[in-house]
Amino acid sequence: MITIDDLTHIYPGSRKVPARTAISGLSLGVREGEFVILSGPNGSGKSTLFRILCGLALPSLGRVSIAGFDLFAQPAKVREIMGVVFQSPAVDKHLSVAENLAIHGDLYGLSGAEYRSRREEALSWTDLADRLDQQVSTLSGGLARQVELAKVLMTNPKVLLLDEPTTGLDPVSRRNFLDALHRLQKARGMTVLMTSHVFAEADDVDRVAIMREGKLLAYDSPKALKAMIGTEMVVLQAKDTEGLAARLRAEMGLAVRCIGDEVRLEETENGESLPLLEKILDRYRPEVLSISIKQPGLDDVFVHVTSRAVPDHALAIDLKRTGS
Amino acid sequence: MSALIRVSLSLAKREFTRFIRQPQRVIGTVAQPLLFWLFLGAGFAGSFRPAGMEGVSYLEYFYPGVMLMMMLFASIFSSITIIEDRDAGFLQGVLVAPVSRLAIVLGKVLGCTSIAMVQTLIFTIAAPFLGLNLGFGSLVMLLMGFVLTGVGFSALGFLLAWGMKSTSAFHAVMMVFLMPLWMLSGALFPLGNVPQAMKLVMLANPVSHALIIIRAPFYYGPQVLLADPHYLTSLAVTIAWAVLCLGLSMARVNKRERGVAAA
Repeated sequence: MITIDDLTHIYPGSRKVPARTAISGLSLGVREGEFVILSGPNGSGKSTLFRILCGLALPSLGRVSIAGFDLFAQPAKVREIMGVVFQSPAVDKHLSVAENLAIHGDLYGLSGAEYRSRREEALSWTDLADRLDQQVSTLSGGLARQVELAKVLMTNPKVLLLDEPTTGLDPVSRRNFLDALHRLQKARGMTVLMTSHVFAEADDVDRVAIMREGKLLAYDSPKALKAMIGTEMVVLQAKDTEGLAARLRAEMGLAVRCIGDEVRLEETENGESLPLLEKILDRYRPEVLSISIKQPGLDDVFVHVTSRAVPDHALAIDLKRTGS
Repeated sequence: MSALIRVSLSLAKREFTRFIRQPQRVIGTVAQPLLFWLFLGAGFAGSFRPAGMEGVSYLEYFYPGVMLMMMLFASIFSSITIIEDRDAGFLQGVLVAPVSRLAIVLGKVLGCTSIAMVQTLIFTIAAPFLGLNLGFGSLVMLLMGFVLTGVGFSALGFLLAWGMKSTSAFHAVMMVFLMPLWMLSGALFPLGNVPQAMKLVMLANPVSHALIIIRAPFYYGPQVLLADPHYLTSLAVTIAWAVLCLGLSMARVNKRERGVAAA
């Protein structure tokens, strides 16, 4: 449904600032009806990719096709079938909920009975029914986001792009927003590409793409990604992180990594962690502040993947499987 | 075509709704030119004796000039909201919608023009007190002058504001650029005895032509105006100016930021 082919984007430099490569040779595909999360540290090129995908910027090189249309040659065709939820709300805060929906209807050519039935449908899952005449600025963050999503879904998009849509929401509103999004995505068979930092959001999606420095580092199902770093890991906090890591490597031959103030032993087979933990405690007890066994989550995958140097040929996982 | 009109009107309506929800903005924009007119009019009344204009008081002379100022400033300073629209995020939602880029420009321009019209029409109530009686035909001509001026200069504002990051830069540029154009248009004082070079500037100044199509209906009916080459020239220039600014604005919106070929 979305095919990104060898995309490169270089921001022009000026006398003081050198040109900067935001995306370099990125290829990625999203299949029809798939829910994909795009993730990466700040400055990884996510936002640039998002701007290109919603047609606001043109890349230096490469092609993007959405639903079979060339995004750069036929942007108008793509706009008709695409819905976009931006990080900063694209609603007019000084207008009421109803007025915002009406403008959106006008922009997408909905009118009369069709507009009314679509609006009803779009509002059915929200808590906005009795707030239609309220100005958006007076709504809570969670409700304002609902306006945004209701507005975008009113036009029945085939492809939905979301840029960190849950930023600034409390955990309950975030959960509600995502539940609604997942339910509607399934019911309508929408293709969804969402950028996000929050890995609690990523566990029930189809695939997760992780970017760094404009390159795709990993792209697979959450399960496969978690399997990448072994099934369990031992995480230590020590008085002297680097020192202990060096000793573990030298004296016990363990492949540990230092990430922040933690020492991690990632690729541990199931069942081996506990004996290992005991062994480490036996030998280094005075050095250790805390030690635990952890089931890897997607945030661990993220840390694992993005904290190592970018290799020329990405990771050992199968990047060939990115076609849609 | 109908989509273009529907989208433009929908966006223009939004512009207008936002305007009337801010009463301070309404009062401020009407009161400022009114004070300007009364104070300057009172101050210059005694010394205003241009040749060939006996019987015209300065208040009367300056009246269409203030109307022009209201149209000009109200429409240009309303189009500044494009910067707010971008910062607040509303604009990006419009840009990704399947709408003609011209509709995005027209929505803003028509909204700003209607805002400026409301203010200027309130001011038109003063006409009878100056002994200026507008017939129906002249009123229509005057309104047409307002619309054309509003469209041309809102589009200019749009064009200038599009690339700007802050509203304060916009104010600064407008003051340096627009004030002189307005002063040299003949709005403030007649440009009868000015040097030849100045006349050329005047001729090239779109604001002078806008002034002519706003001032003339107060004195002549439509038949006279539409037969007068002077008026027709100004009308043509004002229309051409509006079309030019709209076209350039549309090209600006159409232009997407592009990555460069190599670092």
